[in-house]
Amino acid sequence: MEKTAGYDPSFAQEVFENVDAGEEIRMCMNCGVCAGSCPLSLRMDYPPRQIFQMIRAGKRDAVLNANSIMLCTSCYTCIVRCPRSIPVMDVMHGLAHYAIRQGILTRRDTASFGREFWKQVYKLGRIDEKDLPRRVFFSAGIVEGIKNTIKYMDMGLKLLLHRRMKLLPERKIKGIQSLRKMLDKAAEMGKGGARA
Amino acid sequence: MKYFLYWGCSLEGTGANFLVSLKPVCEALGMEFEEIKDWNCCGASVSYAGANDLSIKVLNARNLALAEAGAGYDIVAPCSSCYVQMIKVNHEIQEDPELLARVNECLGEGGLHYNGSLRVRHIQDVLYNDVGLDGIRKRVVKSLNGLKVAGYVGCQSVRPYGEYDSVNKPVVQDRLLAALGADPVPFPSKIRCCGSGIFLPEIDYCLELVKNILEDALRHGARLISTVCPMCAMNLEMYQERINEKYGTNFDVPIVYLTQLMAVSFGMDLKKDAALQYNVIPPEEILQSAIGH
Repeated sequence: MEKTAGYDPSFAQEVFENVDAGEEIRMCMNCGVCAGSCPLSLRMDYPPRQIFQMIRAGKRDAVLNANSIMLCTSCYTCIVRCPRSIPVMDVMHGLAHYAIRQGILTRRDTASFGREFWKQVYKLGRIDEKDLPRRVFFSAGIVEGIKNTIKYMDMGLKLLLHRRMKLLPERKIKGIQSLRKMLDKAAEMGKGGARA
Repeated sequence: MKYFLYWGCSLEGTGANFLVSLKPVCEALGMEFEEIKDWNCCGASVSYAGANDLSIKVLNARNLALAEAGAGYDIVAPCSSCYVQMIKVNHEIQEDPELLARVNECLGEGGLHYNGSLRVRHIQDVLYNDVGLDGIRKRVVKSLNGLKVAGYVGCQSVRPYGEYDSVNKPVVQDRLLAALGADPVPFPSKIRCCGSGIFLPEIDYCLELVKNILEDALRHGARLISTVCPMCAMNLEMYQERINEKYGTNFDVPIVYLTQLMAVSFGMDLKKDAALQYNVIPPEEILQSAIGH
């Protein structure tokens, strides 16, 4: 990508309207404290500071395909250090949600981990810690699933031996039906993914 | 001192040693807990992949509404992810009446309503501010006798509001450790992230984060690392073997919950109360030599 670019508000407008916390980037002064604080910024295609500037430059494809928006560990360091009180983490989560809703899966494993996590929340109201990795492993196909199951078998067994794995499957919470109604309403009322 | 205890999904499984040790310790300190009836998962840090922000807020508001409709005590969340999710939603709701109205519109679909009256607190907060260091010292019958411990605070347990401790230079865990007779070592990585919820899918990047944290603790002389977060405990303990394979290191450091150390120093049963047998890297030997058995 070229080093300099003019402002192009079209994508910024899309972000303000459709991405959770997207409007917060208006306050960004590009100081780079978020980039310097982020535990995984060195692994990112572009650190958060640059992502925000690229949004202002209208670089839609580069932003939504950047691995950056999927590499947030949710440590809140950027949030507590931003001198403009921008919830940087929330914006990154919002962008990740938006990109996934458009079918962009830059970090496939992380995206499927998050999606399977939410599916369990919706299905049970709780997380089944045995079932979740299994679903993530097999979401990439049966061969990958078996490979990963073998790869992590030792850890699963150790946790089991040390009583840190529930034996029985997790049961639905009693109010699951009403929880789902609440979540359906929130999915409909909230921002994030309107163009999907 | 009565509270709602919102322990969350992990503390029934991978973080079981936290919950098992927390209950007798808090009881001994005069705290009484009630469960939030029919609580749900907080959504942790990865739900954004499948849900928009309002859904995650509503998910947490359901627990808040259930607690408010009950006895309305402060909610204590020992899991840092549960804590940060719940306190964030609670704050945002309390500051923004319009958001509260939207959340309530969704809660209303299931016949619930939240007024925003509750306080969400971390276990370190109530131990430090409600029980107090003196209250804890009084219970110590087997001092940890200067055992060098690295107090690993992690990220989420003091953030984002810094309600009871600094978000950049936290001190509370070190003070609690010192009250048990331990010697908390200087530990610059105490708030460096371990990779948290995306550790498993991003293991290639996250192993290095944990390696740096373990190295820092050992460099400063720690024999044990204490934590108050089930993700930190899991990532720091369960991946040491893989780090050793990848980097040719030789890590074998026990990772214990603060409440396990409290149970030990309170002279409680090492299995039943301190739950030491739940740890995959055994801490017994180090702890027993510290307390003199």
